[in-house]
Amino acid sequence: MRNKILILVLAIVFAVPSFSQVDRSKQPAPGPAPEINLGKYESFTLPNGLKVFVVENHKLPRVAFSLTIDREPILEGNQTGYLEAAGELLRTGTKTKTKDQLDKEIDFIGATLFTSSDGVFAMSLTDHIQKLLGIMSDIVLNSDFKQAELDKIKKRMESALAAQKDNPNAISAVVEDALLYGKDHPYGETETEQTVDNITLNKCKEYYSKFFAPNISYLAVVGDINVKEAKVLVTKYFGAWKKKTVPSFKYKKPEAPKNRVVALVDRPNSVQSVISIAYPVQLKLGDPDLIKASVANTILGGGVFRLFENLREKHSYTYGAYSSLVQDRLVGHFSASASVRNEVTDSSITQMLYEMNRIRNEAVPDSELQMAKNYMTGNFAIALERPQTIATYAINIARYHLPKDYYQNYLKNIAAVTPKEVQEMAEKYIKPDDAYVIVVGKASEIENGLKQFGPLTLYDKYGDKIDTTKNKAPEGVTAKDIIDKYIKAIGGRENLEKVKDRTTIMRGSVQGMNITTVVYQKEPNKMMSELDAGVMKQETYFDGQKGVVSVAGNTQEIQGDALQAMKYESMIHPMFIVDSLKINAKLAGTEKVNGKDAYKLELSLPDGKTWFEYFDPETGYKVKDSKSITVPQGIFTKETEYSDYRNVDGVMYPFKIRQSVGAQSFEFNVSSIKVNTGLTDDKFEMKK
Amino acid sequence: MRKKLFVTIILFFAFVTLGYSQNKIDFTEYDLDNGMHVILHQDKSTPIVAVTMMYHVGSKNERPDRTGFAHFFEHLMFEGSPNIPREGYFKIVQNAGGQLNANTSFDRTFYYEILPSNQLALALWLESERLLHLKIDSVGVETQRKVVIEERHQRLDNQPYGTVLEQTFSHAFKVHPYRWMPIGSAQYIDKATIPEFMDFYKTFYVPQNVTLSIAGDIDINQAKELISKYFAGIPKGTKKIYRPDVVEPPQKAEVRDTVYDNIQLPLVLQAYHIPAQGTPDYYALNMLTTILSTGQSSRLYKQVVDKEQKAIQVGSFPFALEDPGLFITYGICNAGVQANDLEASMQKELDKVKKDLITEEEFQKIRNQVKNNFVSQNATDAGVAENLAEYHVFFGNTNLINTEIERFMKVTREDIRRVADKYLTKDNRVVLYYLPKSAEKKEGK
Repeated sequence: MRNKILILVLAIVFAVPSFSQVDRSKQPAPGPAPEINLGKYESFTLPNGLKVFVVENHKLPRVAFSLTIDREPILEGNQTGYLEAAGELLRTGTKTKTKDQLDKEIDFIGATLFTSSDGVFAMSLTDHIQKLLGIMSDIVLNSDFKQAELDKIKKRMESALAAQKDNPNAISAVVEDALLYGKDHPYGETETEQTVDNITLNKCKEYYSKFFAPNISYLAVVGDINVKEAKVLVTKYFGAWKKKTVPSFKYKKPEAPKNRVVALVDRPNSVQSVISIAYPVQLKLGDPDLIKASVANTILGGGVFRLFENLREKHSYTYGAYSSLVQDRLVGHFSASASVRNEVTDSSITQMLYEMNRIRNEAVPDSELQMAKNYMTGNFAIALERPQTIATYAINIARYHLPKDYYQNYLKNIAAVTPKEVQEMAEKYIKPDDAYVIVVGKASEIENGLKQFGPLTLYDKYGDKIDTTKNKAPEGVTAKDIIDKYIKAIGGRENLEKVKDRTTIMRGSVQGMNITTVVYQKEPNKMMSELDAGVMKQETYFDGQKGVVSVAGNTQEIQGDALQAMKYESMIHPMFIVDSLKINAKLAGTEKVNGKDAYKLELSLPDGKTWFEYFDPETGYKVKDSKSITVPQGIFTKETEYSDYRNVDGVMYPFKIRQSVGAQSFEFNVSSIKVNTGLTDDKFEMKK
Repeated sequence: MRKKLFVTIILFFAFVTLGYSQNKIDFTEYDLDNGMHVILHQDKSTPIVAVTMMYHVGSKNERPDRTGFAHFFEHLMFEGSPNIPREGYFKIVQNAGGQLNANTSFDRTFYYEILPSNQLALALWLESERLLHLKIDSVGVETQRKVVIEERHQRLDNQPYGTVLEQTFSHAFKVHPYRWMPIGSAQYIDKATIPEFMDFYKTFYVPQNVTLSIAGDIDINQAKELISKYFAGIPKGTKKIYRPDVVEPPQKAEVRDTVYDNIQLPLVLQAYHIPAQGTPDYYALNMLTTILSTGQSSRLYKQVVDKEQKAIQVGSFPFALEDPGLFITYGICNAGVQANDLEASMQKELDKVKKDLITEEEFQKIRNQVKNNFVSQNATDAGVAENLAEYHVFFGNTNLINTEIERFMKVTREDIRRVADKYLTKDNRVVLYYLPKSAEKKEGK
């Protein structure tokens, strides 16, 4: 049906008889252009150096106070995250007030108050501003950080990090920052569970005492207030804030890559790829290129422009595709981005690069340039509806040492941009060939298609390379050596083959429930297990051919992949000594298991089943295996770690077994192993 | 009470606000002969204008085998008319220095343009064109079909917890069309045909089913003339407008389920059936949600996040709709906390407000918070235009933009306890756990 319609390209006008008094065929002409007034602001500086900007606006009976600590970016190192923690600590107590009191007082006047490491934002109805400023100045001047509050914040930060691991956009942002700026740069370093764990109260306190200084700060006062009143209030509440000498820093300048490189983060359950083509850019407010370059970026993707038209309206790859060119005092960046369905990931990148090239190689048509200018001009006017915009502009002029009339001339400067200048700016700032192509998505479906865009490197969710070259096993070691050493280490073929049956008792806990498991095994692969979790009992029977699970009287036959897997996993002997299996073993390098290097073997069976096993180079023991399991909800990786090997009748068995599937893990300790007790076959068949 | 904004600029020197006062929103409203409702609000402080069209049609007007239809249709409304080419809407508005967009909810579909004020006629022309004679072709339909499915992927399917509202509503409603979300399901988006779109258009996109609400730098008389010019000649619709009269039967027993998602931290959500928006109990439930979760001193935040550290985030909100909706409370577990443990902590707080009156001090606090919110909702022209239209379409009283606060202020402490006790009951709720996929039943051992 859909195809048929497509071929016909049938157009339907939902026709209504037309009528004549209006000429609908022509777009109405605009009225005379309204004058865009920037709006007034007043400013003054307190003796302690605090610079205050006041924008009066009585539309709503409320006032907002926005304090910005204009410090330089700080490298956080092995305590990355401490600035965020310090920002949160700011509203957890002062020398005279507990967090409970602060919370109560802020909420009682219906106010909003946020703190961060580089400022405080507070807003309330006009009636309450004295009270609001009292709280705000207490926080800014007299904060008192406490360990108990830091501990709570750290716990929440670690949880939030865990949550982020599944958010494709958050992963993309982390990897993009790490690549563009480098992990040794304040914009590129990555918060991890470890760095959050490292955060100390002293570090947070030190930050607050060093950097919360009036002489590097700006206070915007916006709303239902006049400058006279503002001056009285600000002096009263921030006059006692002491001037300080604040440290400053130097950082290396991040460079764009010399060639295009592809960074892929595997997110196996993705149904869309999150794409960003990005690189750092040296561009800051006041740079003569900035306005012209912004026009070029707008045409490329600053709204419903080329990227959107191409990827959404023409190809329907995505809900939206945009680009941004972001200025910054230290280092800015360019990014073209879209979320697209898996199968069009490479096609989408091709089109994004095509558009990036096109704006460099072809002069932009006048009509399109005019549209971009109109759009930017209109947005400028619309933004002025918010009085905060006026304060931001005023503070920008001070922070970036801009000419006083920078924003007055902004629209004139946009109007003056020529097609030639757009192309010059595109050549200088739009770099499809020297960019990172960052993709978060389902690698198994998209990886091959990405290789055409440049050398591809796999990254993890923290923006660290998954380094495959470093994992090479030493020269001369073969898979056979490793297997032989393992068999020998656990007792040798002869001893292993003596085992005709075995009974293993294990204890463990899963989510706070204590579990006891007894596993009976008999040659070659008969198995029966009894799992007792107190409230629930589960029995599994496998006679070598058929398997049944029984839970609370309900039985279910094991089928399909699960049954197939059971045939192997129930074997009483290590699979390596079962010659009929024809295991193919390949050395796949080394990998750390619990912080120690281990050999990694890729194993496969003639039926196509593959999995990985890991062996300790010193002891020879197997320390881990990794298998993918299929359940109705999808495919998961099941990892099992083995340790604490002990001798039972000449064979070494692991007495500690830890298994994890996704985020969940269980640990079992073996309490006893008995061999050759004479188990009979009926043990492995369920009694009717 | 102070007058409009341009007056206050003259008032510059006379700083007079004392005591609580909201700046009154003046407006004019009337019907055209074809039944279209018009609301105009003048605010000359910035030379821009927000032109909005609120069509009284949303996902609840859909057929169960065409979920997502109203939203899909919203995309098609950008396709053009005999006088506007495909993609023309975006281009024309951007070229005029403006912004435009639209969104679809359970109950209505909302379109807007924000433009420099000298482009009022342009916005009216654009909106009247697509009300009078929308033009769509199969290329546009097939393109938007895929775009809408990518929108669903981006918002729901590829996001952790992305399907939480969809799951909530599908569990809470068995017969009412609130059981599916405005985004719909890919399966039905694939089935929608052009003749169906035509029928939908002729039924719902008619003057008597839309409210034109304009706020900004306009001259009222000139605006009226332009509106008449572009809209008066559009004929009234002749089809019966389908409004579901389905009443969701009262829920008799708790509904409880678990969803396994690509997440690390479990999420707990409770949803309680509540009356429609605008009813007296709706206002009490709004005050109740404020006591539970607005600000860091709120009951749920203080106890569950700050004191017990069981959650990294908690919240509650009445998802009030034209027909009876849901009161939702939710929390995301802190690392290592089990969902049932978090639920028990949240439940304790709910039990307290059901049993005990809130203190006088808390009561004063939430009144202040509600006042603040009420004042802040009218910060922009676009916000004012939308609020005016909402009050007209769903509350039948446009002036509530100025007076609704009185309804909140009528709520007593006893009312808050009464609605908590009446609606926050076990049998009346859906409880959902979102758990990591890895927690799902393992392969048979």
